[in-house]
Amino acid sequence: MNMLNFKIPRSVRNIFSYVVLSIFAFTTIFPFLWMIITTFKSRGAIFSLPPTMMPDLLFKPEMWDSYIAVLTKYSFLRYAGNSLFVAGMAATGQLLTASLAGFAFARMEFKGKGLFFGLLLSTTMIPTEVIIIPEFLLMAKLDWLDTYLPLIVPSFLVGTFGTFMLREFFMSIPEELVEAAHLDGASTFQIYRKIFIPLSMPAMTTLFLIGFIHNWNELLRPVLYISSSNLRTITIGLTSFQNEFGAQWNLLLAGAVISILPLLIVYILAQRYIVEGIATTGLK
Amino acid sequence: MKHGKITPYIFIFPMLVGLFVFRLGPVAVAIGASFTRWNVQAPPKFLGLANYVEAIGSETFWLVTKNTLFFTALFVPGVMILALLMAMMINQKLKGIAFFRGLYFMPYITAMVAVAMVWNWIFATRFGILNHILRNFLHISSPPAWLAEKTWALVALAIVAIWKAAGFQMMVFLAGLQGIPKSLYEAAEIDGASKLAQFLHITVPLLSPVTFFVFIITVIDAFKTFDVTFAMTGGGPNYASTTLAYFIYQNAFIYSRMGYAASLAFFLLIFVGITTLVSFKVKERWVSYDL
Repeated sequence: MNMLNFKIPRSVRNIFSYVVLSIFAFTTIFPFLWMIITTFKSRGAIFSLPPTMMPDLLFKPEMWDSYIAVLTKYSFLRYAGNSLFVAGMAATGQLLTASLAGFAFARMEFKGKGLFFGLLLSTTMIPTEVIIIPEFLLMAKLDWLDTYLPLIVPSFLVGTFGTFMLREFFMSIPEELVEAAHLDGASTFQIYRKIFIPLSMPAMTTLFLIGFIHNWNELLRPVLYISSSNLRTITIGLTSFQNEFGAQWNLLLAGAVISILPLLIVYILAQRYIVEGIATTGLK
Repeated sequence: MKHGKITPYIFIFPMLVGLFVFRLGPVAVAIGASFTRWNVQAPPKFLGLANYVEAIGSETFWLVTKNTLFFTALFVPGVMILALLMAMMINQKLKGIAFFRGLYFMPYITAMVAVAMVWNWIFATRFGILNHILRNFLHISSPPAWLAEKTWALVALAIVAIWKAAGFQMMVFLAGLQGIPKSLYEAAEIDGASKLAQFLHITVPLLSPVTFFVFIITVIDAFKTFDVTFAMTGGGPNYASTTLAYFIYQNAFIYSRMGYAASLAFFLLIFVGITTLVSFKVKERWVSYDL
């Protein structure tokens, strides 16, 4: 007799599933939870042993002190604004580049198509650390140091992931639509602009969001290229903040919460686009 | 589709500029720079293979290489096992499963510097919650100073990196799992195959192309690790948690040794290249597309 074939009722199995799911969920969420708990503690409570799960300032008038301090005394809103601008520009730019190239790769035949597409895909394997040195020297030559151009222009123009993703999407649009437009006298650019772009809005949204998240979180390039404190993005704002305020964990983590929050809201609202977009292409 | 002869080139033009100016061009320049002494202020001076000779003769380089391999050995199985388990858990028809999926993916979209901050606090030696648990629940009288000890710094970084990255690989695994026809499991069920047998004889072989893909991207992720090191240990104590990508950054931008850093970058490129090639060779042997 096979013991493993012993029938367990569905409801029991479901409960078991939820228990396991919750264990994973707890591991995932705990650092975020601990982050938030710490921001509602006073300085004394942070360094108490044993550590308390219940923050001492919760529901007290001083509850938001860490956040108020971070927002009023340090330029976190400014950093967030800077990141919003940089990430927004970079993400919008790659939509243009990637949709144009994706359209050509999906719908046109031309010499070098396979070669260019292959080259483009091969670049996903190249670590940033390999290209960053020449890139830095190029940016210095162009006199772009301490501006946002090095943070925007490369992601504007490359968009490997986006080209790949939109190519896949464009290939699924029926040929009849294209032929009908041709009969109506539409030019190639009009077909791209009037048919392919409107039809691919969900894919474009996904691409925008992924690009935005990626650029918002970018660390190495802001570290290298930005030196003026008023140009700091949120990631380097947070880093320099950490260097200044070593162990004031309630303040540091309030800064961290503020830097994560905008993305988290976007993520919760647009989860379907982000998660499914990544799932269907399986590429970064 | 009918189109003019040069039209496609107009469409791919912006991408081509990006590809050559910001990707392939820099790779070529980096290889060239690796044969020079270059510190930005002065023009590059040709050195031949001196940078490579220096790297191979340097103890720090070998330590860093060893660290990179050790980190990879922790990160790759960690991410892959966790990602597969989570993918299998969320590949069930249960109420609220989308909620769990969204949750598991969350660390992936957050900035490493921000989450590294709370991990720093969790790992804190005296007041950190992790050591509190180790001391009081597992009765380990002197738990390690995670980020300040040679033995543990890299392990701590790997834990954070695994926690942060696994959501992405989970999504790739999930897409793979959903691509396996349900009818196969139903047939196996009728034949009386146990869940374990179903996993071993249906899931594992049919998932192998996806597993292969996940393996490559995870290894490359491990080689590229930078953010977590930058945010948590700065490579310390004394190079104990410095991996190759971070070492390149240090040499290029902290010690201003662009040429030497470029030669280190070439080693990184070789590592990535070898991994990809070997994986494709091995793939022919163990990846099966049918039963």
